[in-house]
Amino acid sequence: MMKLLQQKEWSPYLAGTLLGLVYIVSIAVAGIIPGASGAFENIGGLIAQAIYPDLAKNTYFQFVMPPGITTAVMILLGIFIGAFVSAKLSGDFKLQVVSDPQWKRVFGAAVWKRWLVLFLGGILLEFGAGIAGGCTSGLAIGGGLFLAPSAFIFIAAMFISGIPTAWLMYRRKY
Amino acid sequence: MFEMLFALIIGFGFGFALQKAGLGKYHKIVNVFRFTDLAVLKFMMTTLAVSMVGTFALNSLGIIALPAIPPTYVVGNLIGGLIFGVGMAGAGF
Repeated sequence: MMKLLQQKEWSPYLAGTLLGLVYIVSIAVAGIIPGASGAFENIGGLIAQAIYPDLAKNTYFQFVMPPGITTAVMILLGIFIGAFVSAKLSGDFKLQVVSDPQWKRVFGAAVWKRWLVLFLGGILLEFGAGIAGGCTSGLAIGGGLFLAPSAFIFIAAMFISGIPTAWLMYRRKY
Repeated sequence: MFEMLFALIIGFGFGFALQKAGLGKYHKIVNVFRFTDLAVLKFMMTTLAVSMVGTFALNSLGIIALPAIPPTYVVGNLIGGLIFGVGMAGAGF
C-alpha cells in the first residue's frame, strides 16, 4: 500500500477510479459536485468587496457567484494540500520557475515566456469557465456523470479550440 | 462547519488523484491536444464512468438524492469552452 502511494505516477485508469470514488462520496454525503474554478470567483468577489465595493454589488456577484469562503474555496485549498502530499510522498516535489522539460525543449528556458503564457492562459481558463458555468471538474465531469448536455458541449468546445492552439504553438514540432 | 471540513477532505482526494495521474504537469495536458499522450482523456473518462455508475446505483437504491445538475445554455457552454480550450493548451492546466 505504502509502495503504491510512493509511486511517481499511477496509471490514469487507477487515478481516474480514485477521483470517481471521490465524486461519489462528495455527492452522496453532501450533495456537492466538486469543482475547482468557482473558488477563484468567490475569492475574486471578496477582493472586489474590499477594494471596489460597487463592483461586488453587480448581478454576477449577487446572484451567480456570491463572494465568500465557500465550500468551493475549501475544495481548492484541499487540492493544494492533496497534491502537495502526493508529490512529497513520491519525491516529485521541487520548487522551480520553469518546470516542464517539454516546454524547455520546445520554447527555451526563458522564464518570462513561460510565465506570460501561463498568466494569460490562466486568465482565459478562468474567464471561459465563468462563462460556461464550470471547468473540467465541475462541468465536464460533474455534469457529464449526469449526462448533462452542457458537459458534452463544453468538452467538444475545449478540444475544438485546444487542438488548433497547440498546433499554432508547436507548428513544425506538432 | 461539517460541510467546510468535508469539502477540504474532498479537495484533498481530488488533488491527490490529479497529481498521481501526472496532470499537474504542463506536458501531460498539452499533449492531449497533440494526440501524443491521451492520459487526460483516459483519466477523465474513467472518472466519468466510475462516478456515473456509483451515483446512479446509490440513487436507484434510494440511498441518495441527485444534486442540481449543471444547467445547459448552448451558447454559453460553447463560447466558454472555446475560450477555456485556448487557455488550457497555453497554460497547461
